[in-house]
Amino acid sequence: MEVQAAAASPGGVGTVARREISDFEQWQIATRHQLENYFRTNRFYGLLAFVVLIAGLTLAFEVAAGVAAVQVEQLYRSSEYLSNYLVNTGLFVVLAAAFFGGDALSVDFSTGAGYYMLVLPVRRPVLLAGRYTAATLVTLVVVGVYYVFGAVGAVYFFGAPNVPWLVLVESFGVAAVFTLAALSVAFCVSAFVRTPAAGVLITVLALYVGFTTLQATIELAGYEPWFSLSYAGGAMAAILDTDFVHLQTVPLGEDQYYTIWSATVLEGLEIMAGYIAVFLPLSAYLYQRKESTG
Amino acid sequence: MGSFEVSGLSKSFRTGPQILTDLTFRYEGAGAVGYLGPNGAGKTTTLKLLVGLLHPSAGHAYLNGIDPMEDRKGALWDVGALIETPEPYPTLNVHEALDAVGRARGLSRDSIDSEIDRCNTLLDLPALGQRVGWLSKGQRQRVSLAAALMGDPSVLLLDEPTSGLDPAERVLVRRLLNQLKRDHLVFMSSHQMFEVTEVCDEVVFLHHGRILLKDRVDRVAGRIRSRQVDVEFERPVSSQMLAPLEPFSSERVPVSDTRWRVTFDGSDETRVKLLGLCQGIAPVVQFANTSLVLEEAYLELIPQSEDAS
Repeated sequence: MEVQAAAASPGGVGTVARREISDFEQWQIATRHQLENYFRTNRFYGLLAFVVLIAGLTLAFEVAAGVAAVQVEQLYRSSEYLSNYLVNTGLFVVLAAAFFGGDALSVDFSTGAGYYMLVLPVRRPVLLAGRYTAATLVTLVVVGVYYVFGAVGAVYFFGAPNVPWLVLVESFGVAAVFTLAALSVAFCVSAFVRTPAAGVLITVLALYVGFTTLQATIELAGYEPWFSLSYAGGAMAAILDTDFVHLQTVPLGEDQYYTIWSATVLEGLEIMAGYIAVFLPLSAYLYQRKESTG
Repeated sequence: MGSFEVSGLSKSFRTGPQILTDLTFRYEGAGAVGYLGPNGAGKTTTLKLLVGLLHPSAGHAYLNGIDPMEDRKGALWDVGALIETPEPYPTLNVHEALDAVGRARGLSRDSIDSEIDRCNTLLDLPALGQRVGWLSKGQRQRVSLAAALMGDPSVLLLDEPTSGLDPAERVLVRRLLNQLKRDHLVFMSSHQMFEVTEVCDEVVFLHHGRILLKDRVDRVAGRIRSRQVDVEFERPVSSQMLAPLEPFSSERVPVSDTRWRVTFDGSDETRVKLLGLCQGIAPVVQFANTSLVLEEAYLELIPQSEDAS
């Protein structure tokens, strides 16, 4: 078919200057686009408020009770105090990963978002990478706030010079790797399910309830839960624990013992890396193959 | 100039019937192609296959010669698509939603602003600072259409582009498409026969996933003998005055005081007789086929019992 142009159309083909754009640039664009969205969602501010509330109340109660109360808990050193405080970090990472990653891909197939984004000249793995990066950054903001409250508490009770700042930063680094691993699982779930709510729910159930329950059961049976991401997450606190014990045996009764395993930092990082290596490529594969049937 | 092509294209899902069967057509250059068929015929499925939102069960789709299954970025580089009901993130405002599209298409900062201005002029966009989540359906449709036009791609794939628009907005979009088709290739599915007649040069009829007819609109019009003529008289005419037409027409419906729509058997002989009789009733200003030729073709090609839309 060839219809001769009687007059140029508004704009006219080829009158708009466009340049070749690399996948790397499109990754940056996708990251920014997703961040703009995240930073305006109620879920971001809701989760931030939740973290501030929990961390703030914890700190307020400790301050009100004074140093003696902290020492009753046998937290004589700032590193022990921080290690004890950061035991709960995994919960916030899992919640944030579920909130920001649980529907990151399914949104394209359950709403009209996909008909807006997936018809653009952008490879799906690039889109995924942008969203993954944005979800990581926004999760680290939430987790970072939790760390800040912990640091404030440590400075208040033990003085700034006594706080192991470098190890605290290393712990945050481990939290960042844990975030990447949790988001890899969340993205994989999101690429698999159809509805955003299901993605968020399954991610929370799998990472928090599922793994924690399974971990306890396996430990009761006397085995190390080396496959569990929540077990690996213990490394965030373990790095600050100067009295860290990898294996504890607790007597339950006559000739009965309960073994408690704690992941070493290296072991935790290996497990997290394993999760990223398996679930992130799987997410990309599922996302690439998924069809817009709705 | 752009092109799009489907070759032996078939699509079926694991559960459910065959949606498309061995579709083959190719268009290149400038102009507009209408894609017609009843609900469930496979029109949207074809468009989704063209942009890679679905995977073909057999055959291939090509945009500007590139298969989106093999190189999505390359295939979609010079293509604007409006499929189903696109929804930009509701938290973003109109400018941000279009800005993201412009940047992904490789436009410079200045070009993005001028493109958004151009689309604003063409489509009378809502306030650029307004959040997408607060827009009406019609406003969102115009924003999505603007997104398809960003960067002025040579191929436009439009799935019912005037869906959700009010009459004034439809006129606006029809005028725009008529301008764009001068140097773009437009492929549009629609249920609006009038719209397709107004805009398209070629038409493809689809039914149960198979092509029933593929031709130029004027040839289809010539092939399908219109069974309706619009007669405009110089002065008002009553139904009693049209009584002489009764032996030759099955129905006479007033459009206005001076204008009547006359239904007949479609033959040239009857048409000549009707014209003569009308001229005997009052001076005839206009005696023409109604603009519903495609609708008649549609009804002739597709059994009415299966679809009334």
